[in-house]
Amino acid sequence: MAKNTDFYAILGVTRNASQDEIKRAYLEAAQRLHPDKNKAIGETEIFLEIQQAYETLSNPDRRKKYDVTLPKEGISYLPFKHKIYYSRPNLVRMDEPQMLYILLEIAPQRESEEIPSPPLNVALVLDRSTSMKDEKMDVLKNAAIKVMRNLRSQDIFSVVTFSDRAEVLIPASIPYDKRKLESRIQMLQPSGGTEIYQGLRAAYDEIQRNIGQERTDHIILLTDGHTYGDDQECIDLAEQAAKQGIGISAMGIGKEWNDEFLDTLAKSTGGSSRYIARTEDIQKFLVDKFESLARTLADDVILEIKQTPGAEMAYAFRTQPETGPLPIEGSIHLGPLLQDSTLNILFEYRIDGAMTSQDVIYLQRGQLKLSIATLPTPLQPLTVEFSREVKDDPGEEPPPAKIIQSLGKLTLYRMQEKAHMEVEQGQFELAAQHMKNLATSLLAQGERSLARTALIEAENITKMQSFSEEGSKEIKYGTRSLIMPLE
Amino acid sequence: MIECPNCQHKNLDGTVFCSECGTQLSELHSIVTQSIPAESKPLPPVDRMQTAAYAKQLDTWASLHLLDSGQILPLGDRTEFTLGRVSEAQPIMPDIDLTPYQAYANGVSRLHAVLKREGERVFVMDLGSSNGTYLNGMRLKPNTEHTLNHSDLLALGKLKIQILLKNS
Repeated sequence: MAKNTDFYAILGVTRNASQDEIKRAYLEAAQRLHPDKNKAIGETEIFLEIQQAYETLSNPDRRKKYDVTLPKEGISYLPFKHKIYYSRPNLVRMDEPQMLYILLEIAPQRESEEIPSPPLNVALVLDRSTSMKDEKMDVLKNAAIKVMRNLRSQDIFSVVTFSDRAEVLIPASIPYDKRKLESRIQMLQPSGGTEIYQGLRAAYDEIQRNIGQERTDHIILLTDGHTYGDDQECIDLAEQAAKQGIGISAMGIGKEWNDEFLDTLAKSTGGSSRYIARTEDIQKFLVDKFESLARTLADDVILEIKQTPGAEMAYAFRTQPETGPLPIEGSIHLGPLLQDSTLNILFEYRIDGAMTSQDVIYLQRGQLKLSIATLPTPLQPLTVEFSREVKDDPGEEPPPAKIIQSLGKLTLYRMQEKAHMEVEQGQFELAAQHMKNLATSLLAQGERSLARTALIEAENITKMQSFSEEGSKEIKYGTRSLIMPLE
Repeated sequence: MIECPNCQHKNLDGTVFCSECGTQLSELHSIVTQSIPAESKPLPPVDRMQTAAYAKQLDTWASLHLLDSGQILPLGDRTEFTLGRVSEAQPIMPDIDLTPYQAYANGVSRLHAVLKREGERVFVMDLGSSNGTYLNGMRLKPNTEHTLNHSDLLALGKLKIQILLKNS
């Protein structure tokens, strides 16, 4: 490797870092690499470099002189690019409110050299409550063993099991003696209730032991039941995890788990939730999840937004790589950017008539924050601006095909969302009608089995005034997976 | 407001799919991939019986009559066109993107087939598609050229296309 002569890169700060930030970065690095403490060969040299970098940058005069000698920070170094698609060429001057859809596409961009994916720091949280007994437990154990065998040499792995209480089965570490750990997983016995918070908390603590080490930090929860009374604690913990860049993904097995709850958990961290209808699919889902984590380029892409009154973001949904609804305010964790796929988010905006007296409407000026653990320099946040001109004419250009494709499928997903809301509000007739409409649309797209399920649910709503647990999940996750990119 | 032609629900201006029944409100007329000259805008639907006469009026050597929607896509003056559907992260784009015609639901591959003209003769070749190309109901062997005649029925997966040739 070429000697790193960029002092900013050595300290791991951006070029516009304040004196305070530089000092903090230096102290942190010095603590880690001080010759009294360091172990690995070569760390003393790194320490000397850090000292040299700090001596230059901490002095404003010297820093100024040094800055002049630096090559321009080229845009070409950005390891990703983004593109914005609008559903319409312009907005229309009118009194009524109007809709606008925006697709934000973030793509990895490889220039001269490959940026490796960071190693993992993953905690598996396994439900071992009584309901998991027999086949489910066996399949789950084998799946856990399988993903452990698949780990790369630098990956850190931990396993936590829970019922009424949690137990750390495998503490966070690089699993050297896999055989011994496998037998530990094999001895797992189901018993007790389902208290998800216990498990999540223990997993969170395991992740904490290795946080900030330039890894992809993620918690994967597998459960088959409803948690009892600790929902809010779980959600608070997820929010705390999100702040530290820890993702949480959840997989529900069978039909008796709370999909809304697992969605909420995943949503705030940029993670995903999946429905595993058949026990035998557990392994496949889990292996896929680990593979996608291992292909991560940036594990926590954040879009900081501020709503514009009168032109508000009403809905946000990740259409790729893993589909799922997103929050619509504050720091939105969009999820990970993978090496080999784009990260696509579809936004819906509703613009009030009063806004259209302006010539240009700025819907959003957000900051896209993305950090790549394996890059020496932190990336500057990127300003992402959504804006449209206002004209008297709607313009003839049709929406881009990319928007049409995702939005068409997303509309189906939202129809079932709407029916759910109507059931909750006691509007059963409306809900049943929406499920029938959904069935018709699904049929038109050749999704026969999903259409049949939608019809059965329409009947369930009419007769029993509720969805069936199984059918409701099948439709929710079924329509969601339609949005996924096609093979 | 836009009234949905299917369920009469009134959607806000700018809505692309009806929020009540999922019907597409904005027509997706133009084709998406580049390389096609401007004249290949789909023409209004025509009756299947009138197509022969229709093809003679067109100045392109071939046109695709999409039977499900009734739309006709005249091809440009190049002598070779690949048919398929555009999707994410795809290295090679088809010349003609059939996405607007329910290509995915009908099982059209990303690079499905190619149409070629050599002098007066026109060929079709399946490009190893997943769901196959059918010529008048017979499945074609992949990567082999087959002669096309006017009004032949081609199916890419389940997407049915009638071939209209000028020199018919």
